[in-house]
Amino acid sequence: MNRKTIVQTAALIVAGIILALVANAFASRDRKLGLVGSYPNALTLPPHEMAVFHSQAATETSPPAMMAPSVTTAAPGQTPASTTVPGTTKQPAATAAIETVGLNPAAKNPAAKTPSSLPPATASAPPLPTPTNTPPDDDPIKRFPPHPDKPYVEVTFADVNWLHGKKVLFLDARRTSVYEQGHITGARPYSVWESDIDDKVRKLFDERGDPQSQSLPIVIYCSGGDCEDSHMLAQKLWGIQFNDIYVYKDGFPDWQQRGGPVHTGANP
Amino acid sequence: MKRLLTHPWLTIRVQIALGAIFVIAAWPKIADPPSFAHMIYNYRLVPSSLINISSLVMPWIEMLAGLALILGIWKSAARNVIIALLAVFIVAISINLMRDNAIDCGCFNVADRGKSHEQRIFDMKVDVARDLGMLLLAAQLVYASKRERGIDN
Repeated sequence: MNRKTIVQTAALIVAGIILALVANAFASRDRKLGLVGSYPNALTLPPHEMAVFHSQAATETSPPAMMAPSVTTAAPGQTPASTTVPGTTKQPAATAAIETVGLNPAAKNPAAKTPSSLPPATASAPPLPTPTNTPPDDDPIKRFPPHPDKPYVEVTFADVNWLHGKKVLFLDARRTSVYEQGHITGARPYSVWESDIDDKVRKLFDERGDPQSQSLPIVIYCSGGDCEDSHMLAQKLWGIQFNDIYVYKDGFPDWQQRGGPVHTGANP
Repeated sequence: MKRLLTHPWLTIRVQIALGAIFVIAAWPKIADPPSFAHMIYNYRLVPSSLINISSLVMPWIEMLAGLALILGIWKSAARNVIIALLAVFIVAISINLMRDNAIDCGCFNVADRGKSHEQRIFDMKVDVARDLGMLLLAAQLVYASKRERGIDN
């Protein structure tokens, strides 16, 4: 390779870098990237077995959609029995605890709301649940207690549906463009791949940064299957002390298939 | 055979075809860097801090190298860049094939197409074969260029 070729190759690369930076500077919010990303497990292989871990509630609650939920072995207020995914590392901020629970309040309380009686779609973000003056069976914090030792716990439709009925905070980790095509009613867009994610996380921290609010359940979901965006977002939030995070493993496709309330557009 | 392989008629067509493939491949990545960053992340080979910058810069380098080949300017530099990129792609996909980490290669499309593990593994093998084919095209350009220079001298 002669000197001229080396100079031209270097010029080509430098031109590429300049164009990339300029294009990124002028890109729209959902197409922009921060120059330095922060993605947990970037060098760790995902476990294949992820899809196997469904709660008992999920396996016993097959369709029809939005039917009365399933039988569960977990007692109200009891810390969920869990299964750790084999092959995961013990690094605290990595895949330390990918767990599954089967908590289904309706199974313990036959008079519990059926999903069809869920409140209608709202255009605003869900209000914070009040942890006081609620019966234990009805209290999201009692049923889904904080788990500060692990970033998230995986839950299935029955639990997610119950939490949705309790108006806990839902975060949609998919891309904003996909969110706008349809999302769980009340969920806010929190794509981990877009440049404003850190601002959104900061805003959430400002909104509910006190220890009591940080112990309120948050449900995060993405597209189900092998989608890991919800897990990544959960780890981000766990990193700033949110300690009651639930990942809806089967994600939006499952919610939609089971007839959960869906809202389209840019608003929750 | 040597004359046939290095004939200008063939060389110019290979050059334009290879350039066009790179321009076409670069476009969806330039249009949607976050999705391409996701694809790079899925390879589990790039450190967290380098994922975004790679996903921003790599498509533009692909685009410029492809355009240079199509337009016939800075041909040898563009060729070198394309050979280096193809080598990186082949190694990265092969490592993931060996690790049984099924991914979408993100070569021409950055959308998650919801394929099964088996489909992805099959597609990855096809991708490696396709990249090796493109590497052969690039080798033809190198060979023709060397021969042309030899004749000139």
